[in-house]
Amino acid sequence: MTETTALRCVACRAPLLDGDRFCEQCGARLTEEQPEAGACQVCGAAAAIDSDGYCSVCGARERGGIDRIELDLAIAAAVSDRGRVHRRNEDAFQVEVIGDRSVAAVVCDGISSASAGDVAARSAAGAAAMVLAAALADPTRDASTATLEAITAAHDAVEQVPWTTRADRGMPSCTLVAALCRNTEIVVGSVGDSRAYWIDSEGTRLLTVDDSWAQEQVAEGLLTSEQAFRDPRSHAITHWIGADAPDRPPRVAALRPDGPGRLLLCTDGLWNYVPTAAELGELIDALPTGASPAAVARALADIALHRGGRDNITVAVVDIDPS
Amino acid sequence: MNRFTADVYQNEYLPADGTEVNAIVTIASAGGAGPTQQAEAAEIVIVDTSGSMSAPRAKINAARDATGAAIDCIRDGVAFAVIAGAETARVVYPKGGSLVPASETTRAEASVAAARLRTDGGTAIGSWLTLARELFATAPGRVCHAILLTDGENQHETPEHLDAVLASCEGRFQCDCRGVGTDWQVSELRRIASALLGTVDIIADPADMASDFRSMIEAAMGKATRSISLRVWTPQGAHVAFVRQVAPTIEELTDRATEVNALTSDYPTGTWGEESRDYHLCINVQPRNLGDEMLCGRASLVEGDEVHGQALIKATWTDDQQLSTRINREVAHYTGQAELADCIQDGLEARKTGDQATATFKLGRAVQLSSESGNDGTLKLLQAVVDVDDAATGTVRLRSQVADADEMALDTRSTKTVRAGPNA
Repeated sequence: MTETTALRCVACRAPLLDGDRFCEQCGARLTEEQPEAGACQVCGAAAAIDSDGYCSVCGARERGGIDRIELDLAIAAAVSDRGRVHRRNEDAFQVEVIGDRSVAAVVCDGISSASAGDVAARSAAGAAAMVLAAALADPTRDASTATLEAITAAHDAVEQVPWTTRADRGMPSCTLVAALCRNTEIVVGSVGDSRAYWIDSEGTRLLTVDDSWAQEQVAEGLLTSEQAFRDPRSHAITHWIGADAPDRPPRVAALRPDGPGRLLLCTDGLWNYVPTAAELGELIDALPTGASPAAVARALADIALHRGGRDNITVAVVDIDPS
Repeated sequence: MNRFTADVYQNEYLPADGTEVNAIVTIASAGGAGPTQQAEAAEIVIVDTSGSMSAPRAKINAARDATGAAIDCIRDGVAFAVIAGAETARVVYPKGGSLVPASETTRAEASVAAARLRTDGGTAIGSWLTLARELFATAPGRVCHAILLTDGENQHETPEHLDAVLASCEGRFQCDCRGVGTDWQVSELRRIASALLGTVDIIADPADMASDFRSMIEAAMGKATRSISLRVWTPQGAHVAFVRQVAPTIEELTDRATEVNALTSDYPTGTWGEESRDYHLCINVQPRNLGDEMLCGRASLVEGDEVHGQALIKATWTDDQQLSTRINREVAHYTGQAELADCIQDGLEARKTGDQATATFKLGRAVQLSSESGNDGTLKLLQAVVDVDDAATGTVRLRSQVADADEMALDTRSTKTVRAGPNA
């Protein structure tokens, strides 16, 4: 190991040593903990899994394998669960803690009617988080600009996902909700129907607006929220990350908390079972006092599972303390 | 820019222990590479000039006109020639043993030569194809296409000799075959056209020959690709039961595989214009556990080193009978169209050998299948051979008097399919 290595931290550009898992300078996480790349779990062939997720030797579908991924970074945590019905988890998250209290968090939901939705979600979350983490390492960067850049990076990453033409399948695509959290400033960007909530002593409120058919009907005053969500089209999304996405900017919301609170990002696998901010707040209030972000994320994912788990469930929770 | 798209139609659900996976793969080519990108072409018109072509004289007269019409359609710069075929073959145009680029001058010279075609001698089709192959070899790197016209059986060669010639020509050029009159053998021309990835048809009336030649050349000039293969990957332990083109015509490709590696084979499909073709793939796999999903096949088109379009054929084992017993309509449709072609060919064969019972049964089933699937063209041809009492049940009576031309038209066109209709 020599200092001449070209490796640098993606967040703060500090030089790294081979094998570092965290940056000595800013503490950013550097390595992905991944299972052995591409080995088939059925026939054992090494590096055999193709870009469509099948073994190129025996044809076996890559096992969704991991039913649940949990990440606990103390002040931030995330849980992604396959749910009870889907054979694969097409949700993805990426959470990075930079320095003491800065957090980049991204949650994506791969669109299952498209090809390679799981790959799209993973690619988008990874690309967006990398841009946010780099922005957090530089206090002069404008948070809203960085959030927009992160979403552009997610689009670029999803466009690179290899896919195959099929009559009943669209291009790879996913939803995205991304948060950049500094001590006194939170910026949330969203595309699609994954959501962000802010929870503090005053209650729980939704920070994002769904890009969905139901939301648009309600926004235009055509239907009430209840009518809209009863319609079979309610979950059709009207904006997404991907090559064929509509050409419109993402929604961005900013928040300057003046006291401690929690930011929660989730996919519709959770909010389908907990549709209102008030109910979400009640569920969190019912948890033991002082529950950690990891405990909150785990408990909410379990509630969605318990209530049916018809979709993949992903929840990320970030503790915010501006004091 | 991907000029090919591939779509898959199948029921991917198999019952426990299910092993047979069927899928229809539709491949569409946008064509349209534009003349500048078009592969350079070579064209040879092979005309039967055996003695029988002047009985009646209308045949050779029509052949002369049709050859002239075909020559007129050859694009500037395409290397071309005209061959006269009898017991031996000779180049009618140009002189000098190689192809000549088409221009106003060369086309005019070739038309004059075609108008002077004389008839004499027998029929040895292998020698015609051999000469065509030798001429095409003088224009390497071009996309080669021939039209072959004959009016008689291949009498002056053994079938084995013709087989050997076909093997030597396969992959060198494509050849559309036409039989004029009713003294030629449908099975023989079909064998030639199949081997050389061309079409086969009857020209019952010599008067129709010129327009048919013109459309064949126009189709050939519209091909924008070099020779393309259908590449099929299957997983270890799987076996390709068959690969069959099912639209626009039925062509068995199973035995024509070239192995790329242990899991991958290429099947020839010839050149492509702006068109769409359907393939039926049947793959036998080792059964897996309930709930397991498997990729059973991956079909793509390969042009040189380039791979275009990709279709994934899958299987998922389930104990839900609602899912596993569902029959995919495209698979069912083309299974019916393949049976239709077999029934016609078997029925006509039985009719020839005097086996009335088999002929009635097979042709009746053909009427039923063509009527069910909306293959009106084939149904109409069948009605010239049988009287239909009830198409729905396939109840028919053989006609005692059938024109040879009608029977041959039914036979040659038995492999023409129709696409699955819209959802009922």
